[in-house]
Amino acid sequence: MAIGRVTQNMMVRQSLSAIETNASRLAQSQEQLSTGRRLNRPSDSPGDTIAAMRVRGEQAALAQHTRNAEDGMGWLNQLDGALSSITSQVRRARDLALQGANEGMSSASAREALAVEVDQLRESLIATANSQYLGRPVFGGITAGASAYDASGAWVGQAGAVNRTIGNGVSIAVNVNGPDVFGVDGASLFDELESLSNSLRAGDTAGIQTSITELNTRQDAIITTQAGVGIRAKRVEQVLTDATSSDLSLTSRLSDLEDADLIKAAIDVKLQEVAYQSALATSARVLSNSLLDYLR
Amino acid sequence: MAGTFGSFGIAMSGLRYSQVAIDVASNNVSNVGTEGYVRRRVVGESVASDANPGLWSRGTGIGDGVQVGGVNRMVDQLLDVRARKEHGTQSALNASLEIMNRIEAGLGEPGDKGINAALADFRASWQNLSNNPGNAAAREQVLASANTLVDTVRQQGSHLSSEESAVRQRLLVDVGEVNTLAADLAATNRSIAAAKLAGVEAGTLLDQRDRLAMSLSELTGGTATIRPDGGFDFAVGGVNLVTGRDAGTLDMVTGVNPDGTGDGNPVTFQITTSAGVTPLAGVAGSIGSQADAVDRVIPNYRAGLNDVITTLANEINTRHQGGFDLAGNPGGALFSFNPADPVGSLAVAITDGSLVAASSIAGGGLDGGNADLLATTSTVETSYQRLVAVFGTEVASAKRLAGNQAVLTAQIDNTRESLSGVSIDEEMVNLMAAQRSYEAASRVITTLDSVLDTLINRTGLVR
Repeated sequence: MAIGRVTQNMMVRQSLSAIETNASRLAQSQEQLSTGRRLNRPSDSPGDTIAAMRVRGEQAALAQHTRNAEDGMGWLNQLDGALSSITSQVRRARDLALQGANEGMSSASAREALAVEVDQLRESLIATANSQYLGRPVFGGITAGASAYDASGAWVGQAGAVNRTIGNGVSIAVNVNGPDVFGVDGASLFDELESLSNSLRAGDTAGIQTSITELNTRQDAIITTQAGVGIRAKRVEQVLTDATSSDLSLTSRLSDLEDADLIKAAIDVKLQEVAYQSALATSARVLSNSLLDYLR
Repeated sequence: MAGTFGSFGIAMSGLRYSQVAIDVASNNVSNVGTEGYVRRRVVGESVASDANPGLWSRGTGIGDGVQVGGVNRMVDQLLDVRARKEHGTQSALNASLEIMNRIEAGLGEPGDKGINAALADFRASWQNLSNNPGNAAAREQVLASANTLVDTVRQQGSHLSSEESAVRQRLLVDVGEVNTLAADLAATNRSIAAAKLAGVEAGTLLDQRDRLAMSLSELTGGTATIRPDGGFDFAVGGVNLVTGRDAGTLDMVTGVNPDGTGDGNPVTFQITTSAGVTPLAGVAGSIGSQADAVDRVIPNYRAGLNDVITTLANEINTRHQGGFDLAGNPGGALFSFNPADPVGSLAVAITDGSLVAASSIAGGGLDGGNADLLATTSTVETSYQRLVAVFGTEVASAKRLAGNQAVLTAQIDNTRESLSGVSIDEEMVNLMAAQRSYEAASRVITTLDSVLDTLINRTGLVR
């Protein structure tokens, strides 16, 4: 800019605009430093804004998925425990049946004792099949009721999957419907135990043999189900493990997008402070001078 | 020689001229801070005794002293035209940037208070319900977060509306100011013409004329053309608002009612003069930007938000109606809204938590399948994010444009100041020069006095 004539007003205006520019830069760095954020409004960087909003969404989803997985883990652990206990009780029932088969010809009182124990096992199994997690029966499907089986061993649940979403589009069933493991009403474990107890009392060796076969099959089915539960628990656990590292990486990505680089901001503030002070100092020196200072 | 006392006249003209020069310098110094003041410069011209040689003229060719040729205003009309144009553009850019900045601040994005965050909370509450479909608290939480979402949306909508009505009020005020300025300019034009006829120096009036034209340009982006009588004609969008001593009025025909409410139409202007009514297109300046904001910027953003909210409400309602509530009955609509104004009328239609349709299986039961579906994010999130990002880009671009224009405007202003501004140093020098020439002229008079003393009192005396 070729300016031949420089007036006092020009110098004043230029000094003012330089001071204002420096002050506003200082204020901007100061804002970044004090809020700790680089992204304070969408126009600061529209591209980063959209990315930040997305990362925030992902982070919220991840937190929710983690909560879901923790809840699912509770269900699966409860199932696993119940199934272990059921397996050992069924094995005991099978042992009693074998004893009954061997001592089939022994006294009625001995068979009665076996039958009583089988009856007790059956009741205990019904209680185990009614195991709850947070007030909901884990073998009851989606029932609104408090139990999966009634006292007679009939299923009173409502078939359905209790799903937990543990990832985007990934949901996993965390329950086992009663009939899938105990068999449908009429041919369920509880019916089998009842017929075993009846056979024992009646000394019906053929009936006892049938029960032994049935219990063997049932035991295999229960163990298979438990293995399935274990595999599902493993998957959920994997999600929980991954969630921690995913959360860390999302947090650091969000921080990259939104947060001010504090060291850089601090240095910027210092630099701009120097610029601001020199603008003030030069203005003070230049503006105070005029020809009047040198006239008598 | 013109006569015995002729030389006194020459010296006298020097004294008079120096006095005018001192007055001009002192006036310049006094007005150093006056806005729109243009420095004056005195022009001296020598007085020739034989300017018109005639038969009986007795000119000596020496000259008869000095006279004031005129007091010039140091302006460049072309530079002034340029300055008015750049100031008009600058104030238009500043006005739209100011409006957009306020809208942007009302979005609350990115952060944990905006619609995006409320939407994420809403989704999370569905997921919680999906985990505990029988839990009454989880059902209430879904309704509470839906209400929070509605409040956030309506708050953003009301920010837009209040900004819109503030801009409309501003338009009314600014149009009123244009009419006042136009009337002032016409009055100034009349005074200038009268001063010209009377042969009076009209410098102050010209300063005022330039100042009024600058303000009008900033408001309307119009152009001023100089008239033969020294006044300005001022045209907005190619139509004369001020012609000589006649001022027309600028009116808003549609868009804004006199009470500041909108009438649903785009803002249009007209100019009424004694020649008739002319509709206007192409009003620029800050008024143009404000009209653009209420016609385009704010409605566009609102339309985008309306689209997002309509999609959200329809999608959630469809999903919700596909599910079953706690009693096993089909779900109803979760959100209600008026399709003509989704943002302003969005509301939660359900108040009873047991009516929240979490289950995807009819006939009761604690299924959470539908809640899980409702918790799944969709295109709503991405389209809202896009809306915000696009607006952010517009604000960033407006900032850049205004910044670039500010550099240009400052440069033009500096060039103008360089020509028209008062420099105290220069005035001091002029003042001292005038002082010295005054002293010199009075010394001439002293010399003449002593010369005449010799002639009158001593000639012919013999000591």
